[in-house]
Amino acid sequence: MTQHAVDLAPPIALPAGVRRRLTSAELAGLAGLGAIALLPIPFGSFGFFVGQFALVYAILGLSVVVVTGYAGLVSLMTYSFAGIGAMVTGVAMASWGWPFWLALPLAAVATVPVSIIVGVTAVRLKGLYLAIATLTFADALGETFFKWSRATGGQTGWVVSRPKPFVSDVSYYVLLLAVALGLVWMVTGLRSSRMGRAMLAVRTNEREAQALGINVYKTKLTAFLISGMLGGIGGGFLALLLKQVTRSAFQSPLVEATSILLVTVVVVGGIDRALGAFLGAVALVVQQQVFQGARFFFAYFGIYSAGLLIVFLLYRPGGLMQVARLQWRLIRARPRVGITVAVAIVAINVGVAWLFVRLG
Amino acid sequence: MSEPLLEVQDLSVRFGGITALDHVSVTVAPGEIVGLLGPNGAGKTTLFNAISGFQKPDAGRIALAGEDIKHLLPYERVAAGLGRTFQHVRLFANLTVRENLLVAQHRHLSSGSLSAMLRLPAWRRDEERAQARIESMLDMIDLRAWETSYPPALSYGTTRFLELASVLSLDPLVLLLDEPASGIQQKEVEALGPLLRRIRDETGCSIMLIEHDMSLLLGLSERIYALDFGRVIAEGPPDQVTKDARVLSSYLGRTRRAHASA
Amino acid sequence: MIAAHPVIEVTAFGLASGATFALLALGLVLIYRTTGTMNFSHWAIGLLAVVAYLLLANEGVPVVLAMLLALAISPIAGIAAYRFVFKKVPRANHVVTILITIGVAQLFASLAAMVLGFKTFTRLPPWLPQGRVSFAGARLNTTDVVTIALAVGVAVGFLAWFRFTRTGRALRAVAQNREAAMLAGIDDVRSATIAWGIGSALAALALLLVLPHVAGKQGGLITTFDITPFGTLLIPAFGAALVGGLVNLPMAVAGGFMFGLVRELLVLAPKPWSDLRSVVAALLILVLLVLRTERFFVTAQEREALEA
Repeated sequence: MTQHAVDLAPPIALPAGVRRRLTSAELAGLAGLGAIALLPIPFGSFGFFVGQFALVYAILGLSVVVVTGYAGLVSLMTYSFAGIGAMVTGVAMASWGWPFWLALPLAAVATVPVSIIVGVTAVRLKGLYLAIATLTFADALGETFFKWSRATGGQTGWVVSRPKPFVSDVSYYVLLLAVALGLVWMVTGLRSSRMGRAMLAVRTNEREAQALGINVYKTKLTAFLISGMLGGIGGGFLALLLKQVTRSAFQSPLVEATSILLVTVVVVGGIDRALGAFLGAVALVVQQQVFQGARFFFAYFGIYSAGLLIVFLLYRPGGLMQVARLQWRLIRARPRVGITVAVAIVAINVGVAWLFVRLG
Repeated sequence: MSEPLLEVQDLSVRFGGITALDHVSVTVAPGEIVGLLGPNGAGKTTLFNAISGFQKPDAGRIALAGEDIKHLLPYERVAAGLGRTFQHVRLFANLTVRENLLVAQHRHLSSGSLSAMLRLPAWRRDEERAQARIESMLDMIDLRAWETSYPPALSYGTTRFLELASVLSLDPLVLLLDEPASGIQQKEVEALGPLLRRIRDETGCSIMLIEHDMSLLLGLSERIYALDFGRVIAEGPPDQVTKDARVLSSYLGRTRRAHASA
Repeated sequence: MIAAHPVIEVTAFGLASGATFALLALGLVLIYRTTGTMNFSHWAIGLLAVVAYLLLANEGVPVVLAMLLALAISPIAGIAAYRFVFKKVPRANHVVTILITIGVAQLFASLAAMVLGFKTFTRLPPWLPQGRVSFAGARLNTTDVVTIALAVGVAVGFLAWFRFTRTGRALRAVAQNREAAMLAGIDDVRSATIAWGIGSALAALALLLVLPHVAGKQGGLITTFDITPFGTLLIPAFGAALVGGLVNLPMAVAGGFMFGLVRELLVLAPKPWSDLRSVVAALLILVLLVLRTERFFVTAQEREALEA
């Protein structure tokens, strides 16, 4: 039986070198990226902070895109992988004196043993078991790795600083934008490939995938490994964002809660679209900063993001990418209705945000 | 008769208290078209499930080109040369027709995730090869007009053809077709027979087919096995099997629903 | 004999904490079997009952009344979640089902946090009898003993209801083979509603049983209430459900007590292990997953029923 029809992009790079126009959804995704890129201009250093946050979350979102969007596996330990990446980056830079360029690959590779243990256990089973396994391991990691002083730097944690040529706000921001864009490019490339299509097939109809000769276990494990490494890379940049990496940032159940937030970011953006990660990040991280002023921040933001997750899953499983696509069609077909709806969506969002800030 | 390509010996499958297959033996020679007939519940699909690896048999032997494949997982059997279609068409409803065919190219490609993510030449070569192969497939099975549509938008008959195209992409030695004509219009059923024969002639694969549409089954099969209650009750050329008293009573003695199943 | 006391006392603690897991697992398996949804929001639905109880008790409502009212809140929430959210997701769509239960979990948990955030609790009479009781030479908490008795009683009562009453058998029919049950005239929406109602009530009771342990240290005086420990209860509950292959109710109950026991007995273990509750739970769950306990309890037909 069929899943919600998630509209998928045509493959890239046709053999005759045919170029194709960007779809409306892709334009929306790039617009999201553009919005992030331009944030510091009106908002100064606060804009830099929010922008960095959004970009790191977009990178972590890519981890979810691969494991859940492509391969259809629910993983609740994305932020655990980020934590491993952050800690390893911290240890490497602060304790061993490594430069960031060496610490980052190490952060990615450090996630592999964990991915393998969890993945090998669960890939032969239903997706539900993997979800339970990831939840369990996120919790267990919180108790072991994230309490181990050698890894976490004790109470004070690790102090890390930006890599040498990129110390200023602007240069570092450009670096981060470039890295995020590069990773999106890579994850998009994965989609139009043998392995990427195998993942999509396994997600949609595992039996048929087997009947076509796809090794579903290897496919799922690969998705999990790639996802873990992306999480580790995101964790490395998270370390730079936090400047001081302490273990309190990665205690369960905060790990689980943030992993859920990452899932929300990706669902809102467009779960199987790398570019959607930018859209989701913009939508949620910016709102998160807006809510910061409210008194019971975590509760309000929790309700808001949970509500978004549920509504999108029920009515727009393709996320904002799908909304962009549908909206564009609507505007072209019936311009007045289309534009009214678009304005209404924006107005409602702004209104809700304002309301929450006032109530807090 | 030459060395059989597919050989099933004394295969038995039991679920709970029910014996779905009881010491079933069938063979398929290279390039042969073999039919399977029997009333609903006779065990035909169960036999296909056991041969293709989706059902674990309790006893018996399954060999393809002389190799024992009983311990292999379904995707490994595909690599060994087996292809099958399902009674209820199972395609990837979320993928376009093009993408469905590209997925089926899996076996013929070799580039890994890393070269895909970095867009290395190996990936580019694979993509070009895959795209070229599906171009010819799209034309051969007349799906060109539908290439960017999704399966739910297609007529049932067209999705069956897509499924056939996908399974042919595997270059199978033996093709197991489970009711290929069920649910499709008469016109398309009539086109199916010559198409399948052409496929066999051009690729040399063997076909084993379950079918309730008698004209298609009898017209296409060179040999037929009749099943009932999990046992082979008759075997031989079509005109001989259809006159077999046991086969006739297996159909008359049971309520036989029309071939369009739920 | 001097050594026996710690073991008996720890066993009592273990069974008492296991009571919570047993009831949670019972609800989880009931809902999963009847509706095909694995409820990651189970703990949050139970949490609403805890919040309701805290608010009512703090206002001076008599304990028993507060308890009963609190126990009613969870089924309402659970049924509402089913009717407005879970029912709309096709069974076969596993990814969306899991993600949406997680969304609902976050929604209810945040709601609970928001409601609690406004309050400080000054008066919280314990709802279970206090005191000590002697058993086989050891001194046990009355609370623990009553907890165990209550959980066992409720579990047995529920299992009997499930087995012998008409409604219970209807639910079992739906769990076994939904289509056949529907053809036989059993309303699967009604069955699902009942399953969600009962499951949620079990979750409520489970969390209320654990409340004294979470909150009781200060003798009933809580200034800010921390909901985070409740979320981690879900993991041993899953583990308990896994003991029964996610479908067997009595085994899920047994599994719950087992997980509780193992956790508490860990206190007696040598140093590094005694702090590693989550790790031990993870290892147990790993073993259960590798064992694929499902195959001991599920027929192929039931698996099909759960899948689509």
